[in-house]
Amino acid sequence: MNVADTIAHHILDHNWGITLAGFHLPVTTHSVTILGVSVFLFIGLIWAARPHASRAGRLITTLLEEYVTFIRDGLVLPNLGAEGRSFLPYFCTLFLFILSVNLAGMIPEMKTATSNISVTAALALCSGGLILYGGLKYHGLIGFIKGFVPTGTPAWLVPLIFPLEVISTVIKVCVLAIRLFANMLSGHMVLICLLLIIFIVGHMQIFAGVGALIPAMGLEIFMTCLELLVAFLQAYVFTLLTAIFTGSVIHTH
Amino acid sequence: MGDLLKPDFGVTFLTICNFLLLVYLLKKFAWKPIISALEKREQQIAHDKEQAQQARQAAQQLQAELEEKLNQVAQTAAQKMAEAIKRGQDQRDQLLADAQAQAERLVAQAQAQIEAEKNQALADVRAEIVRTAILAAKQVVREELNADQTRETVERVLNEVKPK
Repeated sequence: MNVADTIAHHILDHNWGITLAGFHLPVTTHSVTILGVSVFLFIGLIWAARPHASRAGRLITTLLEEYVTFIRDGLVLPNLGAEGRSFLPYFCTLFLFILSVNLAGMIPEMKTATSNISVTAALALCSGGLILYGGLKYHGLIGFIKGFVPTGTPAWLVPLIFPLEVISTVIKVCVLAIRLFANMLSGHMVLICLLLIIFIVGHMQIFAGVGALIPAMGLEIFMTCLELLVAFLQAYVFTLLTAIFTGSVIHTH
Repeated sequence: MGDLLKPDFGVTFLTICNFLLLVYLLKKFAWKPIISALEKREQQIAHDKEQAQQARQAAQQLQAELEEKLNQVAQTAAQKMAEAIKRGQDQRDQLLADAQAQAERLVAQAQAQIEAEKNQALADVRAEIVRTAILAAKQVVREELNADQTRETVERVLNEVKPK
């Protein structure tokens, strides 16, 4: 048994490789998962946003309103100020999207697409685009570029500070992608490794494998609970950091 | 395992398109109605709160006015009560004085009446004494005297013997 191949099979994306008219469509496990989550969110949220006559429907609408209030008052307004109101739909979608994709891995036959660097890079690029858009919208091109140099910086330091600040912003965006990817990947790797303990020990001694079943499953349940927490936490961290970075370019030094 | 960090630009591109399309669609069909309903309700709550505060201020002002009026009424009532008590005391004093004067007048009248009756009684007694004395004198001197002279004599005698 090749343990590394087993882990890789569980973690890695599977490209089904559909090529149409010479164009390779990236139909992969993760992209299909993302599409499924998007359709689910789209249908579910549109249904929830409708006026409801039933008590359960009103409860869901109220929960959704509470969610929007949480994003607005907890993340957007404190970091972006009143200007952030126009970005509220983006942040509402971002948190729910990342959370749903994170949690999708808990469903059998579905994958955690955020454990794919390509997916988290895409989300980070969107956040980078938002940061850029916010800076250009409120300060213009010149103002946005000037914003990279803190007020009061001596002129001779500007050539040093400016590239550093630009690189810092780019790194921040890259770190967004890497943090989400690494956290979600590591959780799933730990989960599969704990499961593999049973098979590895069982491969050596069948009764030892049976004996390892209970502690391994206990750890598995513990890690699954931890993964649930990490799914929420990482969605929150990604959204919060995006809000902070966007706010920092809107409200410069 | 080396594929873990190998980016798939197709997936990245698809994810960006997927996510941005989702943002657009949800913004249009889900978040917009929810946010507008939320803001409308918040505005309504803020408006209601403001109205409630205004009503509270009006009620507090009304309460202050009523308390002031109540104090004024209480002061007026106390003043009128004091005046009534004073008037009652004056009336009582007047009635007592009137009664005193009435009593004194009645006593004076009674004393005058008593004096008059006493004088009348004395006059009667005096007349009786005169008559008796005349009769006695008649008997003593056994001579006929003029009744008028006798009376004058007796009167003179009585005046002389009248206690001082």
